[in-house]
Amino acid sequence: MTGSSPRAGLSGKVVAGVAAAAVTGVLVLYPIFYLLQASFDVGDPDVRPPTAYGFDNYAALASYTRIMTNTITVSLAATAMALVFGFASAWMLTRTNVPWRRGFEQLMAVPYYVTPLLGALAWSLLGTPESGFINQIARALGAHGPVIDMLSPAGIAWVMALFEGSVAFVMIGAVMKSMDPALEEASQVMGGGRLRTMLTITLPLVAPGVLGAAVFVFAEMLGSFSAALVLGLPVRYYVITTAIYQLISQYPPQIPLAAAMGVSLFAVMFVMLFLYRRIITSRSYVTISGKAFRPRVMDVGALRWMLFALCVTYVLVSVALPVATLAFAALQKLAVAFPASSNWTLSNFRTAMTMNAVQQALGNSLILGVATASIGIVLMGLLSWIIYRSRLPGAPVLEYLVMFPQAVPRLVFAFGMMWAWLVFPLPIYGTIWILLIAYLTVFLPLGVRTISGVLLQIDRSLEECAEMCGAPWGYRMRTITMPLLRPGLMAAWILLFIASVRELGASILLMGPHSKVLTPAIVESWAATSSELTAAMALIQTVVVALALAFFMAVTRRAIAVSGD
Amino acid sequence: MDAAPQIAVENLDIRYGSVLAVENVSFVVNTGEQLTLLGPSGCGKTTTLRAIAGLEKPSAGVIRIGGQTVYDSERKIHVPAERRGLSMVFQSYAIWPHMTVFDNVAYGLRVRRKSRSEIEEKVAQALGQVQMSAFASRRASALSGGQQQRVALARACAFSPSVLLFDEPLSNLDAKLRADMRVELRDLQHRLGITSVYVTHDLEEALAMSDRIVVMRAGCIEQIGSPTEIYNLPRNAFVADFVGSANLIRGRARPDLAAGAHFVLETDEGHLVQALAHGRAPGPEPTVSVRTVHLHLSATKPEGPNAWPVVVRRSVFQGDFTQVHVAWGGRELVVRAAALAPLPEGSAAWLSVAPEHCVLLEREAAA
Repeated sequence: MTGSSPRAGLSGKVVAGVAAAAVTGVLVLYPIFYLLQASFDVGDPDVRPPTAYGFDNYAALASYTRIMTNTITVSLAATAMALVFGFASAWMLTRTNVPWRRGFEQLMAVPYYVTPLLGALAWSLLGTPESGFINQIARALGAHGPVIDMLSPAGIAWVMALFEGSVAFVMIGAVMKSMDPALEEASQVMGGGRLRTMLTITLPLVAPGVLGAAVFVFAEMLGSFSAALVLGLPVRYYVITTAIYQLISQYPPQIPLAAAMGVSLFAVMFVMLFLYRRIITSRSYVTISGKAFRPRVMDVGALRWMLFALCVTYVLVSVALPVATLAFAALQKLAVAFPASSNWTLSNFRTAMTMNAVQQALGNSLILGVATASIGIVLMGLLSWIIYRSRLPGAPVLEYLVMFPQAVPRLVFAFGMMWAWLVFPLPIYGTIWILLIAYLTVFLPLGVRTISGVLLQIDRSLEECAEMCGAPWGYRMRTITMPLLRPGLMAAWILLFIASVRELGASILLMGPHSKVLTPAIVESWAATSSELTAAMALIQTVVVALALAFFMAVTRRAIAVSGD
Repeated sequence: MDAAPQIAVENLDIRYGSVLAVENVSFVVNTGEQLTLLGPSGCGKTTTLRAIAGLEKPSAGVIRIGGQTVYDSERKIHVPAERRGLSMVFQSYAIWPHMTVFDNVAYGLRVRRKSRSEIEEKVAQALGQVQMSAFASRRASALSGGQQQRVALARACAFSPSVLLFDEPLSNLDAKLRADMRVELRDLQHRLGITSVYVTHDLEEALAMSDRIVVMRAGCIEQIGSPTEIYNLPRNAFVADFVGSANLIRGRARPDLAAGAHFVLETDEGHLVQALAHGRAPGPEPTVSVRTVHLHLSATKPEGPNAWPVVVRRSVFQGDFTQVHVAWGGRELVVRAAALAPLPEGSAAWLSVAPEHCVLLEREAAA
C-alpha cells in the first residue's frame, strides 16, 4: 500500500471523464444554442449577434401548414409501410419455418446499408412519369400514360419505407426473439388454442415493442431528408427538411425562419423519442430479462414457400433492383429502358473517376471516414465507459447529452453548427475540419450505443478484479477493458466509417468549395449534370462502402479468431 | 503489530439513494483470522465486503486496513481499491477470457513491476498451490467452472496481498465440488496464514471455514462470534433459525421454579421447559431456542426434565436425517433425527431434550 495521498489515484479517471464530458458538451450544446438564438432572431438579418428577439419566426410557421401536412402525410404513410414490412418479415423469420431463415436475417440488414439516397436515385430512374424505365416498358406494352409516378408523396414514402423497413425489422425481430416461448406454451398447456394464444398472449407481449418501433421509425421519418430531396424537389413537393434546406440555400437565405422550423422539428422528434423511451422502459415485459430464447417456430406447411417468395421480393426490391438499375443506367450514354447497342458505354465511370471534383470528394470522404471512425471510437469508447461504468457523478446527464443528437435531424444540427462556427474565432468553416466535428457530433449516439452494447455485456467484476490486483485506471483500461471491448470498438469503427462516407444531411450544408465530400457531390451532380454520371458516382460510393465493409469484416473475423480460442 | 486488528470497520453506513443497504456496522478482523459475513441475500454482506475492498463508496463510517485509514467519511478519505493492497476472489471468478491462465495469475505481479524471474516463480508457486500448474498456457476461456475457481484463487494469492476477500466464491459450483473446494480453501488459508473476509449465505460453508462469523440481516449485524458460539448460543430468533434450524418456544418466565443456573419457561399449555440463560435476562416475552437435531423421540418416557408426550403428525425421510413434525400441546415442533425407526402418523411418543440444549434468547429490541 502506498497511501501517500489518498485522492491522487482518482485523477486519471476524473480528468478523462471531465475532459470527455466537456468536449461532448461543447460539441452538442454549442450548435444548439446558436440554432435557438437564430430562431428567435427578429432583428436585422445581416447583423450578428441578433439585434432583437421575438417569436415572429415561429408565428410565421403558421403560413407553412402545407409543408407540415406534407411531412406528416409522407411520414405516416412511410411508417405504416415500414412497420408492415418489418412486422411481417420479423414474424416470418423468427416465428415460422420459412426456408433459409438465417440467411434472410442477415440480408434484412442490407437495405439499411444501401441508403435511401441510392434507393431514391434508382427509383427515380425507374419511376419518373416520362422517362422512368418502368413507364417506358409499360408504354411499350401498350399502356397509355405513366403507370407509376415516383416523383410524388407516395414515391417518397415508398422509398423511405423500403429502407426504414429494415430498421423496423431489427427492432421488432429483437422483441419477438426475446420472448420466452414458455409463456406461450403455458397458455397452450392450459388449453388455449393457437389463435387464442396468439391473441391473448403473443400480441399483448410484443405490442409495446411494436409500438416503440412505430414511434422510433416515425421520428426517423420526420427527420429524413434524401428521398424527399431527390423525389420531391423536382415537383416542388416539400417536406420540412427539404424546406429548411431550401430556406438556407436560396438567395437571400431565410436563416431565422429555417431555424424556427428546425427547432420545431427537433422539438417534435424529441417528444417522440422521449415517448419511445417511456414505452420501451415501462411497458416492455419481454425485453427485461435480456435473455435470448430460441423462439418457437410455427410450421406453416406449404405456405412457407409463399413467405419465402415474399422475403425474396423484399430483398430484391430494396437492394438488388436499385443497384441493378443504377448499374444499368450508368452503363449507358443516355439511360433508356431499351438501349441500342451503340448506347452502351463505360465513359460515365471513366468521367466519374477522372473528374477532379469527384476525385477530391472521394478522397475527402475517405479521409473523413477514417478520421471520424478512429477519433470516434476513442471518444465514444471513453464516453460509454464513463456513462455506464465509472459511477462518476453526472454520468446520467452525460448519457442524455450524448443521445441528444438522436433527436435532432442531421440537417438541422449542421445548420446550428454552420451558424455557430461562422462566428467562432477558429477559421474552420468551409474546411473538412468542420465536417469532422459535425460527424463526431451527429454520430455520438450511434457510436456510444454500439460500444456500450458490448460494454454492458462485459461482467463488471472483470474490471473490478484488476482494480483489486492493484492496477491503476489507465493500466486497467489498457490491459482489461480495451481488449475485452475490441469487438465493440471494431464494430463501431466500421459503422462510423460507413456512416461518415454516406453522410448527406450534415455535409450538404457544411461542405465548402474546397472541402467537397461524396454524397452531397452525388446530389449536386444529380441536379446539375446527367443522371447516368450520377448513377456511376453512386455505384462507386456503394462499392467503396462494400469494400470497406468486407475488408473490416475480414479483419474483425481474424482478430476474433486470434483472441478467441 | 500482531495485536492490532488487520481490518477495522466502524459505524459503517452504505446508502443507495434513499435505501440504507448497510447500517451502523462495526467489526474487526484480526491478523491471520478468517472472518465470515453470513446472511440471507440482500442483507448487505456483499456490500460491506465491497466497501472494504474499495469498490463501493460508503456514506458514513471508518474503515482501517493494517492500521491505515482507507475510508473515513468525516476526514473525507477514500483510498481507491487498487491502492488498498487487498485481493479478492469474485463470485463470477472474473477470469479474463482474453488472457492465458499464466497471464491471469501474473497480472497483480506485473502491475507491481516485478522482475520476470520473480513473476515466473510466484505464478508457478500459486498455480502449484491450487494444482493448476499443467494449465498455465491454457486460454482462460477453455476452463471448467472448478478450474476457473482455482485460477481465480491463484491469481488472488499470487502477489502476496495482506488480506484476501471472498465474495461467495463457491456459489456457482455444484454441491459435490463445493464441498471439496471448501476443504481446500480452508487448507490453503491455513497454509498461507492470510487474513481473510469471506461472504456467504451458506451456513455449512460459514461454519466449516471461519474462525469467527458475523451474522447480518437487513443491513445490520445480528451476532458476532465463533461458529460454535453462533450455533450453540444464538442471540435471537433470527440467528437461531438462520444458523441451522431451530424450534422457538415462547412462554413466560417461572423464576420460582428455577434451580441453579437453569431458567424455567412455562408455555401457554403449561409445559415447563428448563433452559440455560447464559447470563441473559429474560424479557417480557422470553423465548427459548431448541435445535431440531437436539430433540429426541422415544417410545418410553426418558429420565430427567424436559420430557413431554407428543403425537407424531408427519414423518419425512430426507436421506441423512428424517424430519418429524410432532404435535406438542397446541403447537408443532420439528425434530430431525438420523437413523430413526419409522414412526407411523398419529402414534404417540415421548419428546425430550437436555436443558443445556435449550437456550434462552436475548430480549428483542422493540420490533
